[in-house]
Amino acid sequence: MPKKKNPSTAPLIETRKLCKSYCNDELETPVLHDIDLTIHEEEFISIMGPSGSGKSTLMHILGFLDQPTSGKFLFRGEPTRTMSDDELAAIRATRVSFVFQAFNLLPRTTVLDNVILPLLYHPTIPPSERIERGMNAIEAVGLTDRATYFTNQLSGGQQQRVAIARALVTSPDIIFADEPTGNLDSTSGSQVMEALQDLHDRGGRTIILVTHEQSTAAHAKRIIHLLDGRIDSDSKKFKRVTAKNNHNLKK
Amino acid sequence: MQLKDTLQAAYTAVTAHRMRSILTMLGIIIGVGSVVLMVSVGRSFERYVLDQVESFSSHLIEVYPTGFEKFGRTLDSMSFADYEAVETLNTVESVAPVIFVTEKITYETEEISPFIFGTTSNFFYNYSLKLERGRLLNESDIKGARSVVVLGYQAAVDLFGQNDPIGERIRIGKRFYTVVGVMETVGSALLQDLDTPAYVPFTTAKAQTGQKHLSYMTMKATTEDDELALADITALLRQRHSIDNPDNDYDKDDFRARSASQATEIVGTVGLGLTAFIGLIAGISLIVGGIGIMNIMLVSVTERTREIGLRKALGATRQDILRQFLIEAVALTMLGGAVGIIGGAALGALLAAIASKFVGHVPFTLSIPALIAAMSMAMATGLIFGIFPARKAADLSPMEAIRWEG
Repeated sequence: MPKKKNPSTAPLIETRKLCKSYCNDELETPVLHDIDLTIHEEEFISIMGPSGSGKSTLMHILGFLDQPTSGKFLFRGEPTRTMSDDELAAIRATRVSFVFQAFNLLPRTTVLDNVILPLLYHPTIPPSERIERGMNAIEAVGLTDRATYFTNQLSGGQQQRVAIARALVTSPDIIFADEPTGNLDSTSGSQVMEALQDLHDRGGRTIILVTHEQSTAAHAKRIIHLLDGRIDSDSKKFKRVTAKNNHNLKK
Repeated sequence: MQLKDTLQAAYTAVTAHRMRSILTMLGIIIGVGSVVLMVSVGRSFERYVLDQVESFSSHLIEVYPTGFEKFGRTLDSMSFADYEAVETLNTVESVAPVIFVTEKITYETEEISPFIFGTTSNFFYNYSLKLERGRLLNESDIKGARSVVVLGYQAAVDLFGQNDPIGERIRIGKRFYTVVGVMETVGSALLQDLDTPAYVPFTTAKAQTGQKHLSYMTMKATTEDDELALADITALLRQRHSIDNPDNDYDKDDFRARSASQATEIVGTVGLGLTAFIGLIAGISLIVGGIGIMNIMLVSVTERTREIGLRKALGATRQDILRQFLIEAVALTMLGGAVGIIGGAALGALLAAIASKFVGHVPFTLSIPALIAAMSMAMATGLIFGIFPARKAADLSPMEAIRWEG
């Protein structure tokens, strides 16, 4: 699937002094402090950090699943703060997609129906293309022979690959993956990482991965470390680990 | 999102959670079904009673003695002369006096204790009773105070079994009577068995009991409006009994003239009260059903909130979510309501058919207003408790909804 080029020179994502705090019973808990981050197209980034460091929260904000408390968040140079609910929904439908740690598939629903679910909410892709796009996405994660299975009949690794197929069916600008291997054994985890890496290397997609596992993060080209809600380090990697079949993730 | 897609999403959600869908519908089915059943049973009963009253009683009037001060004693205010006087009125016809004979009837070893009416042949005409075999009571029976008896269908069966009773001699109290006729079976009316009584000449009953007053009188109004005949009878008897009663205070009278159409009205009122009462019980089961719907909807909120979060994360707008849940709730309540209506009506029809076997034709009557009321209440419950949690969930950010713990 060829990637469409954006004429704008603005980076894909740019944040300035981004802060997030949760309010619970008048007690304000700050989670993110002054995050300055720039992400360009076709990057493969791992966001790392111990639990509670705010890495998931950051990803949810960057993926339009949550709103920042303060600071700037520009998407392709456009400020997101003033966007309406429906505009945000349109971005979620067309620009970004997610792979969750808990898969979040619809139970007792077929693989194909799960994969084409985002297409129901897509404003421009015509209904006639759904099945074809769905099957292409399922093929990309190697589950063609499981397309008519119910998702609860699949193994954890297969379920996560269904979730990846669902994430790429709309050809989004960015795929976010939140601990995608967190619930999987090392063999399944490796297969999932292989699928993600393939999307980046061959499909040219921007991937942002959140993990606390060094071995998973090592698949990315850039690793951002978060500590107590601040960016601790941000480094490019030149020696990437490449996931292959039968290669197990060290946990 | 197109409507077709919303329908698809709703359909998938309903079928993917079959148990939840069935339990939700069950509440509606029970609620709507019981209202339809109960109210139709009430209406059918009312219809049945009215039919029964109307079947034997067009323009039928009964006049009977009253008097609270004589409580516990025989009411003896109506005399034979009163009967003869009423017969002269031209607003009534076919006047029949009645004296009850309270004796047992015996034939060989068989013994029954039925109502025994001492009356004239007019009586049969007034109540539309038909002869099966033999003859009715005639003028010469009355004039000669002959010891003849006409048996109701069941009375004949009880005494004679399969044998022909015509010409047989039976004993009423100490006196022997010859059976001259047997009535056709009429079943029961107003929950009274009309097949068990026996009929003897009025004059014979008078002689046997020694009674100097009438138990009651029956007649038919000749006027289109029964009220005119009733007014005539009342005026005549007040005059004869020297009762000054310009205010029409029935407590001052020592008799009461009543038409079957008045009885119809009373039955109608009673039936309405019965339907209201049954409706109340059915309403309670509707509420119970509603609580069932509410429960299952509230229990599934946590799961559904996560689903809503996921759908929003995949790009669903708030409106997409609300429309999907609206369609789901409407589909479940409509389907449940339809099953409830069909089930309730079928059970009601079955009960009516069973009752018809025992008490005569019971017409099955469906109450459309009750049906609509039950349906709207079930739908309101389903919609409110289906959509209200969905609205709350749709207002959360996708992540808050996905992580919802209830």
